[in-house]
Amino acid sequence: MITISYWDLLTLSSLVFLLGGALWLNGFSKVGGLYWATLRMVVQLLFMGVWLSWVFHSDNPIWVILIGFVMLVAGGYEISKRQQYRFKKMHSFLIGLLSLSFISLILLIGVLVFIIQPDPWHQPQYLIPLLGMLLGNSMTAIGLGLDTLTRNAVQLKHKIEAQLALGKTAKESMQFIKEQSLHSAMIPIINMLVAAGIISLPGMMTGQILAGADPVEAVKYQIMVMLLIATSTGAGTLLAVQLASRRLFDERQRLQLSQLEKV
Amino acid sequence: MSQVESSALFNIKNVMAQGMCAPVNVSISAGQTWMVVGSSGTGKSQFLKSLADLIVHQGEVFLNGVNQQAMLPEQWRRQVMYFPAETAWWQDSIVAHFDTLPDQAMLQSIGLPWSILQKNPDECSSGEKQRLALLRGLSYQPSILLLDEITANLDVEASIRVEELLQNYLKTPVLSAQIWGGQGDLSLLKRGGSGVENLSPPQKAIIWVSHDVAQRKRMAPVVQHLVFKTEVS
Repeated sequence: MITISYWDLLTLSSLVFLLGGALWLNGFSKVGGLYWATLRMVVQLLFMGVWLSWVFHSDNPIWVILIGFVMLVAGGYEISKRQQYRFKKMHSFLIGLLSLSFISLILLIGVLVFIIQPDPWHQPQYLIPLLGMLLGNSMTAIGLGLDTLTRNAVQLKHKIEAQLALGKTAKESMQFIKEQSLHSAMIPIINMLVAAGIISLPGMMTGQILAGADPVEAVKYQIMVMLLIATSTGAGTLLAVQLASRRLFDERQRLQLSQLEKV
Repeated sequence: MSQVESSALFNIKNVMAQGMCAPVNVSISAGQTWMVVGSSGTGKSQFLKSLADLIVHQGEVFLNGVNQQAMLPEQWRRQVMYFPAETAWWQDSIVAHFDTLPDQAMLQSIGLPWSILQKNPDECSSGEKQRLALLRGLSYQPSILLLDEITANLDVEASIRVEELLQNYLKTPVLSAQIWGGQGDLSLLKRGGSGVENLSPPQKAIIWVSHDVAQRKRMAPVVQHLVFKTEVS
């Protein structure tokens, strides 16, 4: 494998710097956000690289658990941060964390124990990259789904209340919004599946091929990951939307928008 | 009222919600129409929403002696139904909002053509939508109608037609099974077929918020007015 140097990366980072300038000249106000996100990406990945090589060499599963935990909490935090209307008392974070972890962990453990079968099953070389790929995609979908749900609940409040007044249940009254939320969460995933192999070469497969793996084997891994991602994003969003719509009503099925606060 | 009831159809005890200045106590008998009077911002809508259990409130409400809180919220709201001034539609056609279609005569009686059911709600005027929303709610045969300025966007002629429709609705008997909601005594229906004995006297009443003085006079004698004031006296 041909390695790249830190100087190469520094040179490449000037691209993003120049891009920020061009965007700023065209009236884009969040150049600072772009730079901050880029910087975070670099630092986080470097840190992850160091940490992973350390975890791979130490034989203690406690580190794997710790890394997984940090990834999940960060995922839940990112979900709650992307909400225009956030549930009070950290409930956006909790809903995000729960739906993210529940589905991703079940799929992850299932696929490690029954399909890949490394020895031991929690070997970090397999567990951590897989978890990362599941979380990254689920996080985006769950964040989008929740945001669509709460934003519509606020904007279309009168449409929900009109249905409640007609004697429909909270669940029935939320149906039309739930459909929109699932729609907006699933569209990116469906696009990703359609584009895979024609328009885009997915990152994991590319990485394996660059590292010298047989393309056919790399593709098989990639298909497995795609199937897992599609499942975990869909099921995670379903769970999140379910939990959130229940949280919007009280025990007498009254719409309680005071549960939300605008960020 | 012609029939004297030992217990009222609809009992309101100390009902109070945010935005209201004083708790409300009133007993309403079957067949009655009560007009709610008061300037804007005195909590009239909040009062009606409390009765339908759509917002948090204090006090107790009884329908035929059954406590609001003892019934499932969706069952209660199907019988004690709130009609807002601003109607809302969540499907692409008017007809998709109806579980049971209104009959043509009923539509015509309030000046609406049959074809309007196929329209998109966005194509209808707010006056048309107010009347359609009324029919949409009445199709569930609620016992108590909580009307929140439902003729605000109608001219006098259309308002009077709506009033007539509501007065007829008050007088129309319902199947006894329906009075108690979907979970009612269905054996009555099965046994009786179409016999008259299944029809009980109409168990309906109206509570109506209206700023229209003439309408209040037409609909209810002054004693059946609930006056909402700004200050607690």
